[in-house]
Amino acid sequence: MSVSTVTRQESLSRDAPVRYKRVYLWHWPIRAMHWIAAASVLTLIVTGFYIGGPYFMTSGSATDHFLMGRVRFVHFTAAGVLVATAILRTYWLFMGNKFERWRALFPFHVRDWVNMWRVVRAYMFVKPHEAPQYMGHNPIQQLSYTGIYTLALLQAVTGFYLYGLANTGGFFFMLFGWVGPLLGGAQVARFVHHVLVWFWLIFLPVHVYLTIRADVLHKESRVSSIISGERYVRADVDFVDD
Amino acid sequence: MFFPTSHAWTHDETLGEHMERRGVSRRDFLKFCGQISVMLGLSEALVPRVAAALQNLRRPSVVWLQLQECTGCVESVLRSSDPTIGDLVLDLVSLDYQHTLMAAAGDAAEAALQASMEENYGEYILLVTGSVPLEENGIYLTIGGRTGREILEEAAAGAAAVIAIGACAHFGSVQAARPNPTGAVGVAEIVRDKPVVTIAGCPPIADVVTATIVHYLTFNRLPAMDGEGRPLFAYGARIHDQCPRRAHFDAGQYVQRFDDEAARLGWCLYEVGCKGPATFSPCPILQWNDHTDWPIGAGHPCLGCTERFFWDTMTPFYERLPNVAGFGVERNADLIGAALAVGTAAGVGAHAVATGIHRARERKKGIPLPVVPDPGTGPAPVSPGSGKEGSDG
Amino acid sequence: MARVVVDPITRIEGHLRIEVQEENGRIADAWASSTQFRGIETILEGRDPRDAWAFTQRICGVCTVVHALASCRAVEDALDIEVPAAGGLIRNLVHGMQTVQDHVIHFYHLHALDWVDVVSALSADPAATSNLARSISPWPNNSATYFAEIQTRVRRFVESGQLGIFTNGYWGHPAYKLPPEANLMAVAHYLEALDWQRDVIRVHTIFGGKNPHPNFLVGGMASAINLDDTGTINAESFTKIQGMIQRARRFVDEVYWPDLLAIASFYPEWASIGGGVSNYMSVGEFPNNGQWRDTDSMYFPRGVIFDRNLSEVLPYDHEQVREYITSSWYEYEGGDDVALHPWEGETTPRYTGPQPPWTYLQDFDKYTWMKAPRYQDRPMEVGPLARALVAYASGHEDVQEVVNDALGRLGVGPEALFSTLGRTAARGVETVLLARKLEDWFNALLTRVRAGETTTFNGDRWEPSTWPASARGYGFLEAARGSLGHWVQIENGAIRHYQCVVPSTWNCSPRDAQGVNGPYEAALMDNHPLVDPARPIELLRTIHSFDPCMACGVH
Ligand code: HEM
Ligand code: HEM
Ligand code: NFV
Ligand code: SF4
Ligand code: SF4
Ligand code: F3S
Ligand SMILES: [Mg+2]
Repeated sequence: MSVSTVTRQESLSRDAPVRYKRVYLWHWPIRAMHWIAAASVLTLIVTGFYIGGPYFMTSGSATDHFLMGRVRFVHFTAAGVLVATAILRTYWLFMGNKFERWRALFPFHVRDWVNMWRVVRAYMFVKPHEAPQYMGHNPIQQLSYTGIYTLALLQAVTGFYLYGLANTGGFFFMLFGWVGPLLGGAQVARFVHHVLVWFWLIFLPVHVYLTIRADVLHKESRVSSIISGERYVRADVDFVDD
Repeated sequence: MFFPTSHAWTHDETLGEHMERRGVSRRDFLKFCGQISVMLGLSEALVPRVAAALQNLRRPSVVWLQLQECTGCVESVLRSSDPTIGDLVLDLVSLDYQHTLMAAAGDAAEAALQASMEENYGEYILLVTGSVPLEENGIYLTIGGRTGREILEEAAAGAAAVIAIGACAHFGSVQAARPNPTGAVGVAEIVRDKPVVTIAGCPPIADVVTATIVHYLTFNRLPAMDGEGRPLFAYGARIHDQCPRRAHFDAGQYVQRFDDEAARLGWCLYEVGCKGPATFSPCPILQWNDHTDWPIGAGHPCLGCTERFFWDTMTPFYERLPNVAGFGVERNADLIGAALAVGTAAGVGAHAVATGIHRARERKKGIPLPVVPDPGTGPAPVSPGSGKEGSDG
Repeated sequence: MARVVVDPITRIEGHLRIEVQEENGRIADAWASSTQFRGIETILEGRDPRDAWAFTQRICGVCTVVHALASCRAVEDALDIEVPAAGGLIRNLVHGMQTVQDHVIHFYHLHALDWVDVVSALSADPAATSNLARSISPWPNNSATYFAEIQTRVRRFVESGQLGIFTNGYWGHPAYKLPPEANLMAVAHYLEALDWQRDVIRVHTIFGGKNPHPNFLVGGMASAINLDDTGTINAESFTKIQGMIQRARRFVDEVYWPDLLAIASFYPEWASIGGGVSNYMSVGEFPNNGQWRDTDSMYFPRGVIFDRNLSEVLPYDHEQVREYITSSWYEYEGGDDVALHPWEGETTPRYTGPQPPWTYLQDFDKYTWMKAPRYQDRPMEVGPLARALVAYASGHEDVQEVVNDALGRLGVGPEALFSTLGRTAARGVETVLLARKLEDWFNALLTRVRAGETTTFNGDRWEPSTWPASARGYGFLEAARGSLGHWVQIENGAIRHYQCVVPSTWNCSPRDAQGVNGPYEAALMDNHPLVDPARPIELLRTIHSFDPCMACGVH
């Protein structure tokens, strides 16, 4: 641990066998939150697509079936779970370690905005080894997670508004009744809720790809960190957020 | 119905006296009050109050302005159902000005309007069908050489209550659809100093107009309304939640194409564009034309005609979701979304390939690959500690 | 010479202003001005052609069916869609009932007060009224007691001082010629017709879910037939419809038609007043087999008559239609004196009139929102009279039978048809015939359903992917008020261009580039009295005989 810090390129160029250190990044609530949220989002997408365009039909008497009813029930349940994880995450924004706190999840640091361009260039293969190194979320991740949390918020707000339409005297309409008039009607809200789904489908492959890619390139156990909570990082590398 | 001679309710008698003379039994009258109360969502305990209020009523004056419109709403009121009761209710008023039916024309008609507004200032009920075009100083609608706006403002000034009937008076209906060439707006955009009740629909069911008037005459105030000014007793619930086809919706049984097997079994019209899930209207309960049927009942999806700007937000009518402006009819949001998602996946793949090539090049240049650590050499985990200390790195 | 303005013209659809110059109790010159514009043709651009019927339907809520149907036909023409026979028959029933109902409402509620003096009904002898009613019709409501009751109500009403819609009527005007008994009978039927109209129109509710503005569908009708399901057109629906059709026919035969002839017989001079434009046109309507592009199968034939020449019916060709805007508040790219076929039609509003409030429009070259359609550059009258004339001159047996019967009873020749009275009578003629035809179409539908032929919709070209990249179509029909045409052009699945030329556009057209008047104006200048400019009842008679619909005409 006494080694002076260098860039990853310099570290990679050293002949000496590399030393790694283990960093504990993600407490269990974050990990649990991540995978529960991931599962509920996948559930929401699958059930949401059924609600949007029922791709199975039943036959015979209507009294014998409740397919759409069940799918909607699962959708709403998964929505509830997603909201529960969001509450947990919000709590942890203030209670977690420095990698988990709000300043690390969203690009609040000036330094992160400064670094952002260099990270983008690295993804574009321009001086990739000089890119600033982060143990937690790099600026682009911060930005995309900001986006995905916003997306989840919009999805939930429009979703709960639509849910509330069934009972305009009820709890959900009381809380979210303003959404329709704001957007220009229930049909617009449905449209927004529907279109937002495509953003998940854009985020997901990029997210999974970039984490696996980082793992492959840097061999720093990135993927497993969201399971175990730990990462092994080169001990001699200068991490911005160390 | 609007021909008050049929029952000649004179201004010196109350409605109670009038009905007695007409031979309407107390029982029938109470039954009617009960029906109206049910429609208004009033508790049974209030029926005597409705009855008492109506019984002591003297015939109020009604002025009906027809602005920029198609007259469908007037026709709808002409079809209002329930022969005896409908007559009775519409006989509640003295209709002093109404273009479609009135005998006088030209100056004589306008004189009737002026006289009624003067004699009943502050007391008459103003019904309005049609929108107000505001572009070009309002010359897209004139009556007697005056603009609709001027006429409406004048009539609203002395009105005790303003009831906007139909989608035109609500938000401009079809003429306000993009690009709204005449700048048509609803009544509430013009009349801002008093509440406007909106009987939404293109056209609406006439019984709702009747019930709203009865509510006003009974309680001397307008019924509770939603944010659009629609009375809650009629527009408080969504079609989708009152629809007889709902069991098929929940079961997963949908009409895929008109007149298919499913259509002949009366299944749900969701997939052929039904806007019931986004529409608040009493259609499924009250039904149309003397409870004969209603749009979804007759196999056609709901167009969402009680909702603001439905010509733009509910179209294409046979698609579940609205069109993205600027893209052709076929290119709906899903095509664009799917294209983006596929494009992203492809981009990810391309980036992966590029990464591989990049690394091969670097290898040639002699830039070494990361050395896989010896698992045995790793130190004990360094924990940054509980986040309470140091939030920055 | 006095300038007379009647604005609003009431008891019509929409906003119509008539200005005339009166000379010695007659009308010397006339201007018809429609004072509402909405721009629905432009609003349609870029939209799904399958939605167009709903937009155009809102052109008018009085003839609520016809624009929806014309629009469906236009799109079906463009995309080459055949409507299945059952769907076509349902459309005939819906449109046929529309016309019957529309005509009866026009007669009693829009037109009758021009001929019937409500106040005079007070001095009628109910017994004599009953005799009169019995002498012309077997209708059951004709006892002296019944008429006495009606009369009492009218009396109380008049005495109440609150005259409602009868305030400021022209009661006692010398132009009213009916004896009190006929007035009383007409007032009674005015009331009965109110109840009748909302009953029979429920045919629309069964097939289209509501009235006004029942639902239509490109490719057929959405109301599926299944005799064994509660949620579809089933045996109960057919029973109800049959009842409505029977009640429609009975009222027409036993009330409307006898009343019309009785009232007409007191106004013989009106058979030589208000003729006007001498050209007539019908595009044909009511395809017997539902295949509307087969124009030979139309119950009312198509054709054109020029100069009142009943010995020659020329074929109709929609390519001969052009619209002028010389006197209208629009501009054309090619200048204001050209005339455009609807394929090239432009709807670019450009108001040049005085700023409101105004007093006269007759001093301005442009004075209306109405365009001026011309056929082979001539103004044409359209509507029941034009249809009756084209059918009569084409040797249509049913029409000849009813027309000759009416002419015989009134003791006049066919030339009497070219008049205000002729127009009103022709409307009755076709109502009688259509009420009968409804039964035929209903039976034809039942026969098909019995044979298991229940298909109401053709979905082969429903999906836009099956459409050509560009297509155009012409949809036409005879609406209650006359020939209606919709011209649609579709490109890449969306409407590129849409134009409607509507019955009231033809009839209410202003002067064209040559200064030739349209039918309303010409009729008002044809041997036309106007005794008291402050009480313009004669003017109303002739204008109402056309059954004006301004929302239709301008759209
Ligand atoms: C619906 C699916 C998913 C969603 C919505 C999602 C969302 C997220 C979010 C929001 C974070 C930031 C966590 C925070 O600090 O709040 C995150 C982190 C992470 N996710 Fe996912 N994720 C999904 C699936 C996956 C999958 C399938 C993998 C496995 C390859 C994965 C790997 C990771 C990793 C490794 C991190 C840690 C972040 C880092 O490397 O700094 N995620 N994910
Ligand atoms: C990742 C989050 C979510 C995804 C991916 C998602 C996806 C979808 C999709 C694709 C639809 C069909 C939309 C349509 O075509 O009409 C839908 C419908 C719906 N979603 Fe979600 N949803 C999400 C979150 C939520 C939440 C949090 C709620 C809250 C209860 C919710 C409630 C609804 C409701 C009520 C509908 C039915 C809309 C209707 O009435 O047609 N959704 N969802
Ligand atoms: N003119 C006209 Fe219509 C009719 N009939 C339509 O095409 O009235 Ni509103
Ligand atoms: S709301 Fe609809 S039906 Fe009523 S006048 Fe307007 S367009 Fe016609
Ligand atoms: S038909 Fe329409 S309103 Fe009825 S259940 Fe189906 S989607 Fe809902
Ligand atoms: S279109 Fe309108 S009439 Fe009722 S069913 Fe839908 S709200
Ligand atoms: Mg036009």
